[in-house]
Amino acid sequence: MKGIIRYFFLFLSFLLLQVFLARNIDLGYGFHLFLLPLFIMILPFETPVFILMLLGFLLGIIADSIMNSYGLNASSLVLFAYLRPIVFQTFTPKEGYDVLKKPVLPEMGWTWFVFSYGLLLFIYLVWFFFLEVFSLNEWVLIVRNSFFSFIFSFSVALILQLFFRKQPLA
Amino acid sequence: MQNLIDFLIRFRVFLSFVAFQVLCFFLYVQFVTYPRSVYFTAASNVNGQLLTWENDLYSYLRLSKSNQHLHEENALLRGVSFDHYYQIQRAEIKKNDTVYQQSFRFFPATIISAPVNGRNNYFTINAGTLQGLKKDMGVISSQGVVGVVFKVGRKYSLVKSVLTSDINIDVVVGKKEVRGILKWNGMNPKIGTVTGISTDINVPKWCEVRTQGATGIFPKGILLGKVKAKRRLENQSLWDIDLLFHEDLKNIHYVYVINSLIVDEIKGLQRHIPTETIE
Repeated sequence: MKGIIRYFFLFLSFLLLQVFLARNIDLGYGFHLFLLPLFIMILPFETPVFILMLLGFLLGIIADSIMNSYGLNASSLVLFAYLRPIVFQTFTPKEGYDVLKKPVLPEMGWTWFVFSYGLLLFIYLVWFFFLEVFSLNEWVLIVRNSFFSFIFSFSVALILQLFFRKQPLA
Repeated sequence: MQNLIDFLIRFRVFLSFVAFQVLCFFLYVQFVTYPRSVYFTAASNVNGQLLTWENDLYSYLRLSKSNQHLHEENALLRGVSFDHYYQIQRAEIKKNDTVYQQSFRFFPATIISAPVNGRNNYFTINAGTLQGLKKDMGVISSQGVVGVVFKVGRKYSLVKSVLTSDINIDVVVGKKEVRGILKWNGMNPKIGTVTGISTDINVPKWCEVRTQGATGIFPKGILLGKVKAKRRLENQSLWDIDLLFHEDLKNIHYVYVINSLIVDEIKGLQRHIPTETIE
């Protein structure tokens, strides 16, 4: 129960941060800040994939309705949630996943987090910008936006990981 | 039947993924095709209210600048008298009041959300059906053209800005008033694109691009920007012109919605143009 309330507050804070802060950071040249995928990333390992997709859809559709992006965030977050278990399986540590740990940087280590979140975020961004442009003629725009947004969003995600301290094992 | 159930159970994750994607696609289609449905957009009351609060907060940061703009515009408007009036009795009796008929009315609105990051950007303004807004009305600012009203809610509306791929506003370039069409390629919110001008016409650098006013949505001669560069389109004898917008679309807050009194007449006339049939 305590966990559910905690994630509910995280849900709200990620939504508010994305809609009222990240959206207004404008560096130009395709540097956009995406915070929403990080919320799906840090949900506990044992979360069923259906719940992940449902949360992604809800988060995306609320953000979309305020940001006038009509289903773009929702679609990309559902894809992110769908791929999360597959990517996690690919990068399973040697000794397997510890049920007590959470998928955040301080608990899982640099290598694991950089590879799995990096891969997922990159797929997310390419899907997002492809859907937004929806024309392969403008591939330069898709590649530019995905690349620069990846650098920006990934660095901010690493910084945000400082908020998730390593919890002492009870 | 058993096979079907097995199939559904086996691919339940993938199938629910597809179902969610179809739902997203449905919402997208609803946004694009049905102008009246304002649910899940910023033109709905709840989201409009949220964006108004956000705007109230940020607007304190730019009060002095907006004041200066309004001041300049006031000074300009004092010098203007009959600019947007249509002359009925050409140069016969100018003293009569019926000589000029008003063809455009302007009313003010505030932009409460203006993203410029997306491929297609829709602005939100704080005016709707209560103020008499309709779809396809033009929106300008004191500095240039902003866009066209796209979706109208009760108190808020969405504006399809000039930063969308198919805005297609009719423009004229330079002193010769060569006709072209405005588009946007998504790369830079300061630069628009003008197409449809043949390469045998010389387009000098830094010549002005203004609205053509052919559709009656915008008055004639509203400044959009200046020609920054031009290239030949591949395999076509057309210019691909880069247009530097006069309006800084990133920092735009006060706009005017144009209620055109002549657009219905123009549309009605154009309906009579015979369409050629291929035999």
